[in-house]
Amino acid sequence: MNYVLHLLIFASMYVILALSLDLVMGYMGRFNLGHAAFVAVGGYTYALVTVALGWGFIPALVVAVGVAVMLSPLLSLPAWRFKGDLFIMLTLVVQTLVFGVIHNWGEPGQPVGSWRNFTNGPFGIAKIPKPDILGISLDTMGSMAVFSLIVAGVCALIVFRLTHSPWGRLLKCARDDELALRGLGKDVRRLKVQAFAFSCALAAVGGVIYASYVSYIDPKAASLDASILLLCMLCVGGMGNFRGPVIGALVLVLIPEVLRLTPMPSAIAANVRLLAYGLLLVVVVHVRPQGIAGEYRIE
Amino acid sequence: MQIIINGVISGLLIAMVAMSFSLVYLPTRVFHIALAGILTAAPFVAMAAMGKSVPAWAAMLLALLVAGTLSVLCELLNHRRLERRRASAGAHMVSSIGIYLILNQAVAILWGNESHVLRSGIEGTFHVGAAVVTQVQGWTVIVSLIVFAGLFAWLRFTNHGLRLRALADNPVEFALLGYSVDRHRLFSFGLSGLVGATAALLMAYDVGFDPHGGLYLLLLGVVAVIIGGRGSFLGPVVAGLLLGVLRAQVVWHLSARWQDVITFLILAGFLYVRPSGICGHASRLEADQ
Repeated sequence: MNYVLHLLIFASMYVILALSLDLVMGYMGRFNLGHAAFVAVGGYTYALVTVALGWGFIPALVVAVGVAVMLSPLLSLPAWRFKGDLFIMLTLVVQTLVFGVIHNWGEPGQPVGSWRNFTNGPFGIAKIPKPDILGISLDTMGSMAVFSLIVAGVCALIVFRLTHSPWGRLLKCARDDELALRGLGKDVRRLKVQAFAFSCALAAVGGVIYASYVSYIDPKAASLDASILLLCMLCVGGMGNFRGPVIGALVLVLIPEVLRLTPMPSAIAANVRLLAYGLLLVVVVHVRPQGIAGEYRIE
Repeated sequence: MQIIINGVISGLLIAMVAMSFSLVYLPTRVFHIALAGILTAAPFVAMAAMGKSVPAWAAMLLALLVAGTLSVLCELLNHRRLERRRASAGAHMVSSIGIYLILNQAVAILWGNESHVLRSGIEGTFHVGAAVVTQVQGWTVIVSLIVFAGLFAWLRFTNHGLRLRALADNPVEFALLGYSVDRHRLFSFGLSGLVGATAALLMAYDVGFDPHGGLYLLLLGVVAVIIGGRGSFLGPVVAGLLLGVLRAQVVWHLSARWQDVITFLILAGFLYVRPSGICGHASRLEADQ
């Protein structure tokens, strides 16, 4: 039973992350390899605020989302000018920067969160408290699963409302013909800033759920592999609509569990999983370029 | 002096990777991430061959051959089919990421996740002025200079090199003039695998290798390509040397753990101030892609 709940929590977290990445990749058509950095920013901010300052869940969540939104211009300002390969390289710059800061801003022996040892370096932050909302402590698997499902539902609703509003149509238009949109007098730059802010905020929410559930976070959360995993979800599930990312997230969460049924030494399980992701990517691009349920083909 | 020499030597390796990346990137516009998987695989193939008591030179040759073949297969099985269907640049890149994952993880499954070094024991050194240079570093300089000289002579003075530059310039017109785009693309993929694997093998001799180093090496090369200027074959070499020297300075003055951050900050700075790179012609970005 606990195993199913564990899957449920991870699935709802990845649904949030895939939907948030879809805002910029599917709707706005910007290839983003720096998304995991913002997941880590959310997770680390939550961890630092709760561990070092002892704040409760809700204020910590607000701070985490706020920090991610403040950092989102790192992606949205480059998006003003750059497209295609150059923009991908700039998202990689953001990825490396965040990873570098998280990985290196530490010094063993100093208290976590102090100026000399802000992120505890490669060792990560442990003993992150479980969420505690209005006096209800979510320390059982069941309550955590219900909570993460609710959060995922709220995030999905936000994304659904956003993308089915005039604002969402503007996003799609910026993807298909940015020049026309500018010709119509729309402020494309502001639109980009807003889209990246929403996307990064939702990524931070996903990061908070991860940090509070696993109660441990280390710099691997900001690694390029994590971003590639999110990219896989979108490419496999499809992007540019609401169903695609959800399906992609569910499929990629379930694949390792199916692989678990096959007899295989556990030492190479992680390698086999990534191998399966790679195969899936190649097959999808050849057989069904828009993904399982997607609307938009990657540009 | 020692730092500058070390920097130049690692810069030569970065430049060689950059060169192999742009050998594919310029003529075909394919973002060849799968090259990272090939860079990973080459030293492992050499190691496995040497484990079966094959002489070192034959093992190297075998690794180069395997790398070239893998790169050619990427084009034959993947990019050519996508190109036929006029797939977008993004589709090429995503499938290339997929191939990278497959190659990388296959290497990790076959040979384990540990890191290895190709050389055994302590190697000889010799002095250049006040600096100490190891034998491998000496070989790196010699081999990379031969590779660069060969590539530039080929690009500049032979008809085939001229055709490849023409393909980079305008593929549609190239096909209209009756040349086979497919065959030239295949050639550039193969060459790229060979040059990249040469760099990877030299690197493996010097500092060792593990199944996860390939992507890192490739990204350094891509940074050099962009700083050097996309559209020129010379730019990446200049930028690679520059990056190598700068990274060595960072290690000396700051700390080794910040050198990636600094590298990518330099990239960001270049993209903002001079997106066309050192050797590129300034052009408006919106018009470009």
